[in-house]
Amino acid sequence: MTAEGQRRRAFWQILLFAAGLLVLTVISAGSVYLVNKAREDSKWVVHTIEVENQINALLLEIRRAESGVRGYLLTQGENFRVDHEKAVAAIIPALDKLTRLSGDNPGQRENVEKLSAAIEIRLGQFAQEMVFIQQGQPDKAAALVREAAAQDTTTRIATVANAMAQEEERLFRLRTANSDHSQTLAASMTGIGSGLVVVLAMLSIWLVRRSAGARDEAEARLRDANVNLEAVVDERTADLREANDEIQRFAYIVSHDLRSPLVNIMGFTSELEELGGDIFRRMSSLAHVSAEGAPLAPAGPGEIALEGADKQLSEDFSEALGFIKTSIAKMDRLISAILNLTREGRREFQPVKIDTRELIEAIVSTLAHQAAEAQAEIHLEPLPDLVSDRLALEQIFSNLIDNAIKYLKPGMPGEIRIRGRTKLGYAIFEISDNGRGIDPKDHQRIFDLFRRAGTQDKPGQGIGLAHVRALVRRLGGTMSVSSELNAGSTFTITLPIAWNVSNRNTDR
Amino acid sequence: MTQPVTIIMIEDDEGHARLIERNIRRSGVNNEIVSFQNGTDAMMHLFGADRSGLVQKGNALLILLDLNLPDMTGIDILKQIKENKYLKASPVVVLTTTDDSQEIKRCYELGCNVYITKPVNYENFANAIRQLGLFFSVIQVPPAAT
Repeated sequence: MTAEGQRRRAFWQILLFAAGLLVLTVISAGSVYLVNKAREDSKWVVHTIEVENQINALLLEIRRAESGVRGYLLTQGENFRVDHEKAVAAIIPALDKLTRLSGDNPGQRENVEKLSAAIEIRLGQFAQEMVFIQQGQPDKAAALVREAAAQDTTTRIATVANAMAQEEERLFRLRTANSDHSQTLAASMTGIGSGLVVVLAMLSIWLVRRSAGARDEAEARLRDANVNLEAVVDERTADLREANDEIQRFAYIVSHDLRSPLVNIMGFTSELEELGGDIFRRMSSLAHVSAEGAPLAPAGPGEIALEGADKQLSEDFSEALGFIKTSIAKMDRLISAILNLTREGRREFQPVKIDTRELIEAIVSTLAHQAAEAQAEIHLEPLPDLVSDRLALEQIFSNLIDNAIKYLKPGMPGEIRIRGRTKLGYAIFEISDNGRGIDPKDHQRIFDLFRRAGTQDKPGQGIGLAHVRALVRRLGGTMSVSSELNAGSTFTITLPIAWNVSNRNTDR
Repeated sequence: MTQPVTIIMIEDDEGHARLIERNIRRSGVNNEIVSFQNGTDAMMHLFGADRSGLVQKGNALLILLDLNLPDMTGIDILKQIKENKYLKASPVVVLTTTDDSQEIKRCYELGCNVYITKPVNYENFANAIRQLGLFFSVIQVPPAAT
């Protein structure tokens, strides 16, 4: 999976999430709005019904009043009069309530005004009728009732009330339809929104599952890669070990086989030298014979009396042989050094507990003669003990201390200091001197085999430090130098406090 | 001793062989020296065609052996010599460039009498051979098994 694909997927996920959130918000807002609207619509429906009820209640009270008057007129029964009065008392509040209820509708308000005018007239007639009845003039009252019935007051009341009822009926229908519409809208909105949310959720789930699949796959691949890596590392390590062994064997065989011809070269060079001696001795005796006419007693060995060109010849001969012999000797030393190094490289290390101070004191005592000659003092500070290979440690320290004594500044008392400390499972040793120092540009070079630095006034093959570093590495440690020309040197060795074979037993 | 000792020199390097021979002669040893430049010829001479060693029965031998031979290792020859009833009494001087302590130990374990490392330094080389001459003069080559 590419990074581009990952980014695109992440982008889509965020987009989907945002879309889902937006849809939810819209749905919520829409639902709230629509539910409110539906409630409003319902309220209006209820309102219409209330108005209708109120009209009917008003009409009912008017009828009651009328029937009460008629009953009273016919029977003079006190109960009819009470009934009528109750009804009349209820008419005004009922009318007021209707007025209040229909206040929102201008058409209805007009109707209510008409209605209340008619009702007022009718109420006046009622009062008149009652007065006539109470005054004992039922005829007049009856006439008034008839008149009222004949006049259009009652009819008008009925008509207006009817009109109002019809208007309310119309409104009822309208508002019911409105309310239904709002509710349908709210329901469909909720439905569609929920559907959308579900779709978005499913999309998200699909995306998440896909990326989870991709992640699992990547994890599996990572695991495989790790397993592979270990195998590869093992393989490479084995290869390296083999290569290292090969080099060791190669170095051993080469240096060994180089020695054989060297024995011949050296041997026959020596033979030649002897032969040369014989030849020149003979030449000298022949020269003397021819010069003096009589043979002399043969000259003693090594004592060749030659003159002029012959003498020159003999000297050239000896010089040539001398160069050959020193070169052979040098080559022999180098080959021996390589042999020793490879032999050292093949030696098995044995970790033992080592009293470092004791070990170094022993080395110092063997070097005491050189130290005295160089006027050097060696100071030992407290040193940590460790578990390591004794012989290797001896070689490391004796090489370094020997170097410190060897490369002091001529004519200046030497001071060599050996310090030690521990840090995180490692013992750190510092061997410092006040000697001639090493130019920083040579700091790498001095650890190379057969390479030396500085004034070449001391014998040496350029092997010591290479050997020391190889040993330190085999012991699982590191080594470094800090030094300036003419300002002394400090060699620092870091070794594991508890080295064991398994640490580096593979490095043979 | 009724029979002069024959020196068998098994050395593949002609130069070495010549140097060894010269120094032996210089030290005053005049015994016959038989040289072989490879292991096969030497084995043939020592053990005969039938590999029994019967051909050398009754001969007094001193064997100079180089370890690095082109066709086999001197160690093998040494081993076979020391396992053969007719030859095992013959002194074997291992004369080689190898100065590996393991190798030296191995040779002594197999029964070599003297181990000499050929030094590059000719003085030392000559000295070693001369000492060998001295060794020849004091050594009692035992009468071969009959």
